[in-house]
Amino acid sequence: MDRRIYEHPVLKFDRGRRVRIIFEGREIPAYENETIAAALYAAGIVHFNYSGRLKRPRGPFCMIGKCSQCMMRVNGIPHVRTCITLVEDGMVVEREDVHDAELPTPTKKMKVEYVTKDYDIVVVGAGPAGLSAAMQAAKLGAKVALLDQNPFLGGQLIKQTHKFFGTKDSYAGTRGVEIAKMLVDEIKDYENVDIYPSAQAIGYYRREGVLVAFQSRRLAEYRVLKLRGKRYVVATGAMERSLVFPGNDLPGVMGAGAAQTLMNVFGIRPADEVLIIGAGNVGVIIAYQAAQAGIKVKAVIDILPKTAAYLVHASKIRRMGIPVLMRHTIREAYGKGKVEGAVIYEVDEKFRPVPGSEKDLAVDGVWMAVGLTPSVELLELMGAKIKFVRELGGYVPLRTQYLETTLDGVYVAGDATGIEEASTAMMEGKIAGISAAFSLGYKADWAEKERAHAMKWLDEFRSSPHYARIKEGVQKVLIQK
Amino acid sequence: MSSGEGKEGKPKKVEPEDLLEMQKELNAGYISLEDLRRAGNLPPDEIVEKGIPVPVFDCLENIPCTPCHDVCPTGAVVMETMNDKPKVIWEKCTGCTLCAQACPGLAITIVYPKFGEKRLKGKRPDAEKLWLVSIPYEMLPIPKKGEKVKVYDRGHRYLCDGEVYTVIKSPRFGTVLVNVLVPGECAFEAKYVEVMRDEQ
Repeated sequence: MDRRIYEHPVLKFDRGRRVRIIFEGREIPAYENETIAAALYAAGIVHFNYSGRLKRPRGPFCMIGKCSQCMMRVNGIPHVRTCITLVEDGMVVEREDVHDAELPTPTKKMKVEYVTKDYDIVVVGAGPAGLSAAMQAAKLGAKVALLDQNPFLGGQLIKQTHKFFGTKDSYAGTRGVEIAKMLVDEIKDYENVDIYPSAQAIGYYRREGVLVAFQSRRLAEYRVLKLRGKRYVVATGAMERSLVFPGNDLPGVMGAGAAQTLMNVFGIRPADEVLIIGAGNVGVIIAYQAAQAGIKVKAVIDILPKTAAYLVHASKIRRMGIPVLMRHTIREAYGKGKVEGAVIYEVDEKFRPVPGSEKDLAVDGVWMAVGLTPSVELLELMGAKIKFVRELGGYVPLRTQYLETTLDGVYVAGDATGIEEASTAMMEGKIAGISAAFSLGYKADWAEKERAHAMKWLDEFRSSPHYARIKEGVQKVLIQK
Repeated sequence: MSSGEGKEGKPKKVEPEDLLEMQKELNAGYISLEDLRRAGNLPPDEIVEKGIPVPVFDCLENIPCTPCHDVCPTGAVVMETMNDKPKVIWEKCTGCTLCAQACPGLAITIVYPKFGEKRLKGKRPDAEKLWLVSIPYEMLPIPKKGEKVKVYDRGHRYLCDGEVYTVIKSPRFGTVLVNVLVPGECAFEAKYVEVMRDEQ
């Protein structure tokens, strides 16, 4: 079985050289630019490991290195996050029981290197916010480290195939994938920026002011990075939410963003027929992208009476005949070893089930687009003060208008400040990057102007009735210093 | 929690076609011609009479988005702030289609009233009744010149058959514009096409 997409209306896939991996004794074709998880999905393998207690089959949920549901044993090493580990020729991949993993036997092949380096600014996360922050700081002359836990830079931009909203300054009209390419190409031109892909921040030592990250570009090759930044910009993004229902752990039930990664980054059809839960912008955009990938969207459902999506996004799929059912939610996903169907039902105005409204859809994918939660774990670990703000999607750091948190010298940008848009993340990145560099004595008129413009732009963007809640939310975490 | 309603008997198996019927029209992305008329997004009769190209903007919300305004070479799309809804000055539009290519919402179609009468007279018997509509399209298969397509309205209701006049892939924005000849009465309703080709 080959689930790869070879013809797509807007994307071209650069898969690289063909290699092979061994999955439980079976040889599977793969390409060097694919992660292990992508290669398995391309071969129709969706069951990656077993749950600890009940030994239920499990598969990936997030596909961006956050959820841990993709962990497998690779070349004898347990708990390898296959969604962010690139394939290597001859890799031996096995399902694992996540509670019963064996300690790997160290081999001569295993390499560990220690790197200690000082920087003006350490930027964690190379999505739209982190890239913009690093770029502005570098332009001002600061020495910058930019790290990301994914093997590819660009964060979630790399899977956004639609043209962006916003204005010229935020690359409106350009597709997210292309914006990512432009930003990544540009950042590579700066000699004062060190880029660390496949590097996960795992600790922060306040006394020494050192961030420790674990980098693994190839399996069994590790670098322990001890990076001392005079300033930090934390742009760790967000994580997709899940819903509670029977069968939500079946392989094939995943975050909409995960499906998007498979379809648009790797060019793989994760399913043939899907149900999408959530008819906000993400849900309807993903329905559209699924159709572009040749996947049949059986329905997009949402428990709310009215869609929160932009009308233009929702009407794109309405005119194509994809059913959008409001006041509907999921009862269960069912199937043996993987999802084979889902039961949905209607709710009344008090969100009670409407008797007899249950409908059974035969699908091999259930994708959840039910919101995101800011990833603030690192900020918490560093000691920044955080607060729960519903309008911003969860716990977010308190910060000044220049995005400095309660910790002096620690800035935040992008979805980690609250769930918003890639375009706002880029603007926040600019503000944080410039402010961090200014505080170190770097100066330039253009940067003053750029920062003022970004702040004005954000304010105007958030004046849309669509973002009134965000504006309110931001007020709740704004501090003076 | 559920009190167990609907548990008796098995839920019925359904397909998307069954669900289409159940959509509550107005709250889930459906825009009617009446919505557009009320918002002033349809051209007045005298403009249509002139036979000049008219862009139809299915854009009824204040969202931060300006590409249509930014790319318009003649200033026909007016917008003061990024959250304004675009306003079209009909007389200024030259039908260049840049806005339709750029729009992230694929919300703009361009209608060329009386296209057949002006450009196809003598070339085909039905010329008089044919208008041209430019529809942004990002699906596969991409329609081909001369091909018959099914033409749908904003709620995916079949309107008529159309004939692909030309297909243009925007070099700058990557979106394909399918220019379809349709009977004039369908022109303002036409918003989506599907190829009738049997592939595989």
